Amino acid sequence: EVPPSCTRGCELCSEYNGCLKCMPKLFILLERNDIRQIGVCLASCPVGYFGVRNPDMNKCNKCRIENCEDCFSRNFCTKCKEGLYAHKGRCYPSCPDGFSLTNGTTECTS
Amino acid sequence: PRRTAAKGLRHGGCPSRCHCEADGARLRVDCSDLGLTALPANLSVFTSYLDLSMNSLAPLTAGALAEFRFLEELRLAGNGLTHIPEGAFSGLGGLKVLMLQNNQLQRVPCEALQNLRNLQSFRLDANHIHSAPPGCFHGLVSLRHLWLDDNALTEVPVQALAELSSLQAMTLALNKIRHIPDHAFANLSSLVVLHLHNNKIHSLGEKCFDGLRSLETLDLNYNSLLDFPFAIKALTNLKELSFHSNNIRSIPEKAFTGNPSLQMILFYDNPIKFVGKSAFQHLPELRMLSLNRASEITEFPDLTGTTSLESLTITRARLSSLPGTLCDHLTKLQVLDLSYNIIQDLPSFSSCRKIQKIDLHHNEILEVRAGTFQGLMELRSLDLSWNRVRSVEPHAFADLPLLSKLDLSSNALSSLPTAGLGGLTHLKLSGNGDLRELMSAEDFPKLRVMEMPYAFQCCAFVACERSAKLWDTEESSGRELQSRRDADIAHVLNRPEEDYSLEDLLLELEENPKSKQSVQCSPAPGPFRPCHHL
Amino acid sequence: KALIKVTPLRQEPTGKPITLEGVFAGVRGQAEGRLMQSHPLSLCNTSEDERQDSVFISIVKLESPERQVPQCLSLLEKARLAVKRGAKAVIFDVTDDAGAAVELREALLASGDYLLVVLVQAKDAEVLMGLVNRNEEATVRIEVMVEPPRWPHYD
Repeated sequence: EVPPSCTRGCELCSEYNGCLKCMPKLFILLERNDIRQIGVCLASCPVGYFGVRNPDMNKCNKCRIENCEDCFSRNFCTKCKEGLYAHKGRCYPSCPDGFSLTNGTTECTS
Repeated sequence: PRRTAAKGLRHGGCPSRCHCEADGARLRVDCSDLGLTALPANLSVFTSYLDLSMNSLAPLTAGALAEFRFLEELRLAGNGLTHIPEGAFSGLGGLKVLMLQNNQLQRVPCEALQNLRNLQSFRLDANHIHSAPPGCFHGLVSLRHLWLDDNALTEVPVQALAELSSLQAMTLALNKIRHIPDHAFANLSSLVVLHLHNNKIHSLGEKCFDGLRSLETLDLNYNSLLDFPFAIKALTNLKELSFHSNNIRSIPEKAFTGNPSLQMILFYDNPIKFVGKSAFQHLPELRMLSLNRASEITEFPDLTGTTSLESLTITRARLSSLPGTLCDHLTKLQVLDLSYNIIQDLPSFSSCRKIQKIDLHHNEILEVRAGTFQGLMELRSLDLSWNRVRSVEPHAFADLPLLSKLDLSSNALSSLPTAGLGGLTHLKLSGNGDLRELMSAEDFPKLRVMEMPYAFQCCAFVACERSAKLWDTEESSGRELQSRRDADIAHVLNRPEEDYSLEDLLLELEENPKSKQSVQCSPAPGPFRPCHHL
Repeated sequence: KALIKVTPLRQEPTGKPITLEGVFAGVRGQAEGRLMQSHPLSLCNTSEDERQDSVFISIVKLESPERQVPQCLSLLEKARLAVKRGAKAVIFDVTDDAGAAVELREALLASGDYLLVVLVQAKDAEVLMGLVNRNEEATVRIEVMVEPPRWPHYD
């Protein structure tokens, strides 16, 4: 069995868990691949995840906002799925009352 | 090293060792982590996405990217850049995303930003930025998302931020900011999310949040605040407020009257002693309220107008009584934890129709009356341990169809009515020295975990005699299991050992009569606490 | 003790079960599901490892304490979180962290939680983690091993 080689930027590597601790400033992403889940280190989190910086660990968290492809934080979407419109960090099939599309964008403004 | 990969390219090749993908008529180029020291040659002018992260690029020069008019996303994270000269991004009028995080910048490269009129997301996190001079963000009229966390700012760059009226999300977390002055974010009328956690903020101007009329999320965790953040009164659209892990000692009366939309307030890990009785009034969207160790609370809070609470925790305070109208405002409550108080008398919880879990342990409750928990159709867990309960009225637990966990340990019971307790899986009665009655197993068909005052009370549940015979037949299968396991492991770990068919063993196990559904009853009867005399 | 029957799915269509052994840390019982690794850091409430749809059993490889992996939650809370996310049971490989067994037993006993937690180590753990490392899908069935009594010998 060849232990999983940890990605560059890993400070503490484990044969079974992948990376346990990344170099400063990098984010750890807990990557699920079928039954395995290993830690990998990234400069920025992949699409669909947002980075949360903390003194002891920077971590990629899954973006869970409905109809959202990419997030700034747990409750703010930066990119809605195709055909949906962004308003105050959420995604809507059409702009809420009192708001309309900004020309040439998919964003609702008052 | 990554081979040059290029999918469906029509507009110029892919730089050596980079990974390219067609994006309609444009090109997405990933040259990250290749040890590059300069922009790769042979970059297509139709490049819309360029990732140069985690290389060792020499400082950019003016006009270095001027020909890439279609560039929308440029990633330069992790390149050790110390400064970015004026004109470095000239020609990139269409740029929407610029990532400069994890470099060595000491200040915001203002001169390089002047013509980025379409920039929406700008990452400057994890640098060493200690200032952002006035006018710095002047050209960024479309900026929506700004990351300045994990830098060396000692104050909010008020004047620089004043130009970002379209900004919607910003983090200034993990800096060294000590004070937020009045009107710090006055022009940020579109800001929805503001993170200020992990700074050194010890004081807030009374009007420091004025102007943030769109703000919905404010994170002040892990700072040094001594006083309640009164400045939040300006945040009329606030939904999530967290200021846990600070040094705040009290929550004043009418603390959140300016924030009727609050859904979540987190303030644990503060030395809060006093909480105004009216502090949590008129918060119709609040789902959860948690107060721990607020030792000066002597009265249950007035929750008028706060009608959506699902979880209420007030522990380690000095509540001695509960209002009879407690459940009037709490019709949606699911979890109630009032442990570690000095409550003696319980009101009726019947109007808390949705309640599933009640923790009242470590109080001074004397009795459980018939009407106290009547009709709680959703109640699953009731913890009354460590009280002074002497009596439980006969039908106190009569109609609690989902009750599965009941803990009455460490009280003063001498008897327990079992009506309504047929669904229990966990029953704890230890620590009731006068409770010597025998419980019948038929009354508790679903029991799995049981703690009784005396071992003999467990005999009815662990079938002392029958199991003695049962063990003789199992003796042999135990040895076979041991050898079976070694054979299996050897087989999997490629160490030669004699094989063994498991099917025979399984059949042998199946034939044995299943012992009684195993109830874990303590204290377990044994040789010195026999069941025989029963 | 716990009997752990592991049936690799891809090895052979019928996949003869491998029989391993573990120890229940708290209550004993039965459970069955797909073997799924959980990185120790994924069982922190800040992490957002999503709820799995399939019926699964989590396995967590605990690192040696000297490696000072950030401990966001206690082992009991990690087990609770795994079950909350859908795990039918949680297997902890304590080969490199013997103290974990004591911590888990005491915490489970005190909490009275009905959580199926099994501790494995050495050869048994090596087999399970080997499957994980090779990303070999397998179903795991946990049962109570019926043991001979240990009556004290007295004259």
